[in-house]
Amino acid sequence: MDNYLLISLILLPALAAIMVAFVPRQRLFEIRAISGIVAFALFVLSAYSFINYDNEVGGYQFTRDYAWLDALGIQLSMGIDGISTTMVLLTGIVSFTAVLISWNIEHRAKDFFVLFLLLVAGVYGVFVSLDLFFFFFFYELAVLPMYLLIGVWGSSSDFVTFIRNKEYGALKLMLYLVAGSILVWVALLAVYVEGDMNSFSLLKLQDAEFSEDFQRLYFPMFMVGFGVLAGLWPFHTWSPDGHVAAPTSVSMLHAGVLMKLGAYGIIRIGVDLLPQGAEYWMPLLMILGTINVVYGAVSALSQTDLKYVIGYSSVSHMGYVFMGLATLNATGMGGAVLQMFSHGIMTALFFALVGVIYDRSHVRDIGILEGLAKRMGWTASFFAIAGLASLGLPGLSGFVAEVLVFIGTFKDYPIFGVLGIIGAAITAVYILRLLGKVFFGPISEDWKTLPDASNVEKFSAGILVLFLLVVGLYPKPWMDLINTGLSPLIERVAGL
Amino acid sequence: MMLLDFTVMEGVQVAWLAPAACILAFVLIVSLRMFDSKIGSVISIVAIASGFAIFLYVFGQFNESGPAEFAREWFTIGSTKITLGMAIDQLSVVMLGVITFVALLVQIYSVSYMEEESRFGWYFGVHSLFAASMLILVLANNLLLLYVAWELVGLCSYLLIGFWYEKRSASEAAKKAFITTRIGDVGLLIGIILLYRTAGTFDTSTIIHIAQEGGFADSTLMAAVLLIFLGAMGKSAQFPLHVWLPDAMEGPTPVSALIHAATMVVAGIYLVARIFPLFEVADPSLTVVAVVGLSTAVIAASIALVMTDLKKILAYSTVSHLGFMMLALGSGAYVVAMFHLFTHAFAKALLFLSAGSVDHGTGGKRDIRQLGGLRKKMPITFVTFSIGALALAGVPPLGGFFSKDEIMMAVMDGRHPVFFLIAIIAAFMSSVYMIRALILVFFGDLKPENQEAHESPALITAPLLILAGISLVAGLVLSGWQDFFNAKHHDINFLVLALSLLASLGGLFLGWAIYSKEWISSRDVAAKFGDLEKYASNGYYLDVGYQWCIDRIVLVVARIVSLFDRIVVNDVAVNGTGYSVFLSGFKLRYVETGKVYNYALAMVVGILVVGLTIYWGLI
Repeated sequence: MDNYLLISLILLPALAAIMVAFVPRQRLFEIRAISGIVAFALFVLSAYSFINYDNEVGGYQFTRDYAWLDALGIQLSMGIDGISTTMVLLTGIVSFTAVLISWNIEHRAKDFFVLFLLLVAGVYGVFVSLDLFFFFFFYELAVLPMYLLIGVWGSSSDFVTFIRNKEYGALKLMLYLVAGSILVWVALLAVYVEGDMNSFSLLKLQDAEFSEDFQRLYFPMFMVGFGVLAGLWPFHTWSPDGHVAAPTSVSMLHAGVLMKLGAYGIIRIGVDLLPQGAEYWMPLLMILGTINVVYGAVSALSQTDLKYVIGYSSVSHMGYVFMGLATLNATGMGGAVLQMFSHGIMTALFFALVGVIYDRSHVRDIGILEGLAKRMGWTASFFAIAGLASLGLPGLSGFVAEVLVFIGTFKDYPIFGVLGIIGAAITAVYILRLLGKVFFGPISEDWKTLPDASNVEKFSAGILVLFLLVVGLYPKPWMDLINTGLSPLIERVAGL
Repeated sequence: MMLLDFTVMEGVQVAWLAPAACILAFVLIVSLRMFDSKIGSVISIVAIASGFAIFLYVFGQFNESGPAEFAREWFTIGSTKITLGMAIDQLSVVMLGVITFVALLVQIYSVSYMEEESRFGWYFGVHSLFAASMLILVLANNLLLLYVAWELVGLCSYLLIGFWYEKRSASEAAKKAFITTRIGDVGLLIGIILLYRTAGTFDTSTIIHIAQEGGFADSTLMAAVLLIFLGAMGKSAQFPLHVWLPDAMEGPTPVSALIHAATMVVAGIYLVARIFPLFEVADPSLTVVAVVGLSTAVIAASIALVMTDLKKILAYSTVSHLGFMMLALGSGAYVVAMFHLFTHAFAKALLFLSAGSVDHGTGGKRDIRQLGGLRKKMPITFVTFSIGALALAGVPPLGGFFSKDEIMMAVMDGRHPVFFLIAIIAAFMSSVYMIRALILVFFGDLKPENQEAHESPALITAPLLILAGISLVAGLVLSGWQDFFNAKHHDINFLVLALSLLASLGGLFLGWAIYSKEWISSRDVAAKFGDLEKYASNGYYLDVGYQWCIDRIVLVVARIVSLFDRIVVNDVAVNGTGYSVFLSGFKLRYVETGKVYNYALAMVVGILVVGLTIYWGLI
């Protein structure tokens, strides 16, 4: 089974997409069943890879190569290390819960699930590919369905002073991400040519010994190109608008997993292939990441739409990932990778719950919602847990990740560490403001009949909450994995 | 999870079972969803009672075997190893006792007091978590674990103050408590990481050792210690971060008793005592502690003089006494500060629970102007409240007298006489406001609307009597206390003793003269102070000032940033780029019919631009 583990992570959702495409569109139950079963299978396989990855051995495991285009040195080469295994688990959790949340989609459900499954296949592909060509191929596969998912199933909003329709959100997101992809693609080709091995293999190119000038020239293209997808300031504005326009499960997958693809790309390709370039440019990433943190948090403070608050909070939290990566030390980078996992779970939970509220009240304005805890006890409790994870409460995953980022940052950049900690305090302000306005206080007449989350929604949110708690209380399995993944990377950076 | 290791079951090491029992109670209540169930209270009380039993055992063992410390790995990343561990020493043993005991009494009291509330089980669940967090805080052997527990204490106070979350004021008060203390916590976390940066460990005793060996740069240690003190100021409600504590009265009264006596606010005092050697090394920092403590003591006492809500008087009195504790720490006498923490914990728990009993017996009245003459209707509460009030006023031979006197001597020894004089004034005010509350609530004529007032049931009065008994005799343990901490006994300084007694008794007499005999009109006194009285009644407008800063500065900046984001970054930079492409492109009006063209064009243009840049760049 181990031989086929990674290929099945890609093929299962892809084949399921094809299967769903052949089901008549009225057969809603079959469409949902196929998607649900496949998502569950992916969840199990991801957990299997997480549990069975051998930390003692380390390196890339479950490797498998399939020849494809030998003339150009392209092969479908797969394998996962500690970092990608963590991301694979994240993808399994978020895509499974997101399918559950979209259970009741009826509008063109078939098309929705086809695109959704393709997107999932793309995401898995990125995390398991060890070949730059296929990495990029899957990267694009993960990004493109987003346009249709938002454009067709999204929602437009009129905010009185400005209007955001779903087509605008989708188009902006698309153009941004494609612009980022172009930078990445150009840099990838440059690496391929400069490496001069007739190979796109990541492992081979690691030994290419690129000149320092080359590294310094191309690292920023990876940094910005991938950074766009991860919400790097000032290229982040697609993200809040995209989330506001996107349907619930797409927001979950988008903020939960897709944004992590960007950060993963910076680590896997940027730092791994161009360590000297990374070292040269990391101070800039530290500055931008810190701006992300503070700017995102301050922006979230004055938002009135639930999704905008969460959207800007994602911008802010991804800042910790950048800060951690920029430290280039084990503690900070370990914190960054754990933050990718933690934020993925947390933000998926946030969007799922915002979806639950919006579904019932058709309102996302925090000035209008009030006292929902009285009627929606489960939703309120889950939301509070997500919020507490977000403001870095110990016992939940966010704390472990953030505190490691801070410790790592303080080694070389104490001032930025201070700013990061202040950012976390601002997070507490906007999260508690949100909780206070939406869930506490007297319940207004309009909301006295709102039903609480359904069992499927509770189950889905419950899984996410469980992971927030487990990682927060017992992070050791995650940290051990991340450690194994990071140590060769750190050695390469340090060995310069 | 890691802590559940049953191999460490001997000697003082069993201390970890105390927080573990409380956590278990919380997990049981929440996972079995006993939010409205009466069984929740049973589970919670059993847990905290076993916590107290464990304390008794640990105390016995400790006297035989002395301090111990143990730790195990939590996780490791790179070279950073994070451990979970506990240190059993004098400080933590004492706190273990105070916390479990007061929490036990408060919980027993709550069974009757909260009887008719919905979410009864949830209330007890959070109480358990609160006790657990506080126990972990005092047992932690490293600063990171302490920070973890510190934040959890903040969470629990948030949940309990906001227990009646349907009330807007309660949810606002909860938020205020969390955010104000969080501001202090920013300092605390930065301080801890600064220490780690040099020491390479979070281990408290190692850090202290390194500091004493001179391993830290002076400026680093100074900055770290002051930042940590900022955290202590937030939690222990020191001026100007005390504003959350009076508002915290929005929570149920037993919660106030718990927060004010044994948990939460004493965390800051404990923290300073725990890392006291660091303050000693970074010497001038102790002056900061003393000044902050002294100003807190005076300012809060002056506000307590003019409050009319019984619980607010008690709240400001807590703030003032926390100031005394900080002052003692700042004067170099941490054993004395801990002793005052100890006597104050019982007296203050007693006062709050008695105030709750008044509240319970009169159908929810807390304004002292609407109360009066209750001594006949509520004799037990009257006696217990009086004992608490006199203890806080520092009347011999109650516990508060001894601890206050010790503080005064420490200040005289360690600080400039001006500190001592101001402290005496604060102690004097302390007497006045306590006797004022006592007289206005229990003496005088019974108001007609309070004819129905009645004594509270036994579950409420029993904890009161126990606490009153302890407050009566707490002073007797003083000499044992000093031996326990290996502190030197002060010679009695009769001048200090006389002045301190004079302040207490003089304050009582003045209060009696004004409020009982009405020889002096309280209005005339207030008029003498002119505007000062108005400022004090409004808490010196600190809240107004903070609100102004939030509305006019923080929120305005936030709005400017988000407008900047939408108008500059998005509309000008992003849409502007898009729009100029639109204008320069000639067939782009077809964009209306199919956006894929737009996308394709952007892609081609992009590739060309980037490709050419690189091409030139490569040359």
